[in-house]
Amino acid sequence: MTPIVEARSISRVFPMPAGPVTALRDVSLSIAAGDYLGVVGPSGCGKSTLLHVLGCVDVPTSGTLLFHDRDVGSLADTERSRLRLREIGFVFQRFFLLPMLTAAENVELPQAEAGAPRAERRRRTMALLEYVGLAARADHRPSELSGGEMQRVAIARALANRPRLLLADEPTGELDQGTGEQIATLLDRLHADGTAVVVVTHDPAIAGRARRLLRMRDGRIVDEAPR
Amino acid sequence: MRALRLAWLTVVRQPARSCLGILGVAAVGALLFDMLLLSRGLILSFRDLLDRAGFDVRVVASDTLPFNGPRLEDATALARLIASLPEVEAVQQVRVADAETASGDFRRRIEFVGADPQARPMWTIVAGQDIAGRGEAALVINRHLAQTLRLSPGSSMSLTGRCGEAQGAPPLAFTVAGIAEFPFDTATADTVAGALSAAGRLCGRTTEDTADLLVVRSRPDAGADAAAAAIRRARRDVHVVTSDDLVQQFNRTQFSYFRQISVVLATVTLFFGVLLIAVLLTVSVNQHLGEIATLRAIGLTRRRVVSGIVWESAMLVGAGGILALPLGTALSVWLDRILRSMPGVPADLHFFVFEPRALVIHALLLAMAAIAAAAYPVRIVAALPIAATLRREAVS
Ligand SMILES: Nc1ncnc2c1ncn2[C@@H]1O[C@H](COP(=O)(O)OP(=O)(O)O)[C@@H](O)[C@H]1O
Ligand SMILES: [Mg+2]
Repeated sequence: MTPIVEARSISRVFPMPAGPVTALRDVSLSIAAGDYLGVVGPSGCGKSTLLHVLGCVDVPTSGTLLFHDRDVGSLADTERSRLRLREIGFVFQRFFLLPMLTAAENVELPQAEAGAPRAERRRRTMALLEYVGLAARADHRPSELSGGEMQRVAIARALANRPRLLLADEPTGELDQGTGEQIATLLDRLHADGTAVVVVTHDPAIAGRARRLLRMRDGRIVDEAPR
Repeated sequence: MRALRLAWLTVVRQPARSCLGILGVAAVGALLFDMLLLSRGLILSFRDLLDRAGFDVRVVASDTLPFNGPRLEDATALARLIASLPEVEAVQQVRVADAETASGDFRRRIEFVGADPQARPMWTIVAGQDIAGRGEAALVINRHLAQTLRLSPGSSMSLTGRCGEAQGAPPLAFTVAGIAEFPFDTATADTVAGALSAAGRLCGRTTEDTADLLVVRSRPDAGADAAAAAIRRARRDVHVVTSDDLVQQFNRTQFSYFRQISVVLATVTLFFGVLLIAVLLTVSVNQHLGEIATLRAIGLTRRRVVSGIVWESAMLVGAGGILALPLGTALSVWLDRILRSMPGVPADLHFFVFEPRALVIHALLLAMAAIAAAAYPVRIVAALPIAATLRREAVS
């Protein structure tokens, strides 16, 4: 199967006053449609950095990142924005919903940006909120939602433009165990529905559901286990 | 949901912050608007007063302000010569005299304006009749005098000239024909107008043919400049000024203080407005760096998040700028009243005068302010490193 995204010996070095910090060392990785990848490792080992590079919000210091066989390094900023808008969904530990928008408006935003007609946008937004079990909270602002509900809205937003790849960085890090369980089930479901999922997590419940598990240490992939 | 709508929601769903910004801009904008009204108010008002008299060229004996210099000699012949010029429609001799009311113990100083009763008057009758056709003893008086001395059309009044060396001229009896408004009267001035010959007789100078001033109305097809040029050609020894000349002369001298003050205050005011909005936007941007980085991460372009901030700035400044107009108008009426109560200021001279131009400049300056205020937060957003911000916001 042709990969959605392929990393070829990428490294990411952050120049710091006290000397360069190497967050990724010579990482090669390929993610195909239908993948469900868990990334685990101690804090500071480079998990978030890997996710950022795969999600085209950060560029590697060396190595090549191919997205659908296109070299991301050669793309202009607007083209990378377009790639993120249409092909990639992001979910973060802290949700980062826009506080002045309702749940529905948060989900509608990326669709509007992609130029979807209003009626279709409305329909898809309701369908997505239904999918994450929050149709009844469509008109609520994030401040009126619980952490688990905010994360489900964030997942609906990430799915808005039907991305092939969903990247989640510790999506249950701020949630209690029961709520984390719900999010894990939701990730399972959208993997089952055909989205490739990469999830960085400390949560064994989530890691246990992934089909491939990547262990990282010191910026390297030390072990990759199919499960 | 375009950038405009997102900005709109940001503004209306943070009402406390938005109100603070809008009220701040409204206060600043009101001051700015007032400074714009002040910067040209005196000029416009002065011009209006000059036009109200109905004459656009003035002829005096020398290069001083009217009534301070020597008089024009052989005024009747001069007036006739000027009237015969094809560019001139009408000429009016004006002679002013200092007088006082002779009745009672209290001596009230009165300015007597003598003019040809047959010509169009320089004053506006508000009650009774004008002096035309009523002989040398007819007077029109200003409101202030009518009120303080309880005079009305038909009242009689006795005036004595204050004639310097020729002290001791006998009082003259007059009859009040009407009450009039004089364009350059101050609020407390006592002004009367009567026949040109009466102005001379007040000081016993019955044979003298002098005038302080000739006022000239040009023919509409010729214009003031052509009339002034024709008069200069006909009589090189007199000093001729058009209303435009006078306005410009005042603009360069007396009125320039107000213009400079208004420019300085407008600049300072605008600076504070920009600062306020810049701070509000910067604080709000810094509070939402995580959300902004997320917007970029989910695929909004840099241009898109930047235009959201510019729109937000435009909305706050726009709403404040509109609110500033009624506020500024009310404030200008109040300030105008204070300034006009200064002694020696003609009662009808205004310091704050509205003109459409002021609205346009107000809008332009505020538009520039909105852009300037957005500049710094826009820089933050445009230069925001997405990955580093997401990471920082996640760990903080
Ligand atoms: N923007 C950055 N600037 C400097 N150092 C960074 C930056 N991002 C990550 N790092 C460093 O790179 C290493 C890996 O970070 P990260 O990918 O966030 O780890 P993890 O997500 O596994 O906890 C850490 O040592 C971190 O300090
Ligand atoms: Mg991390």
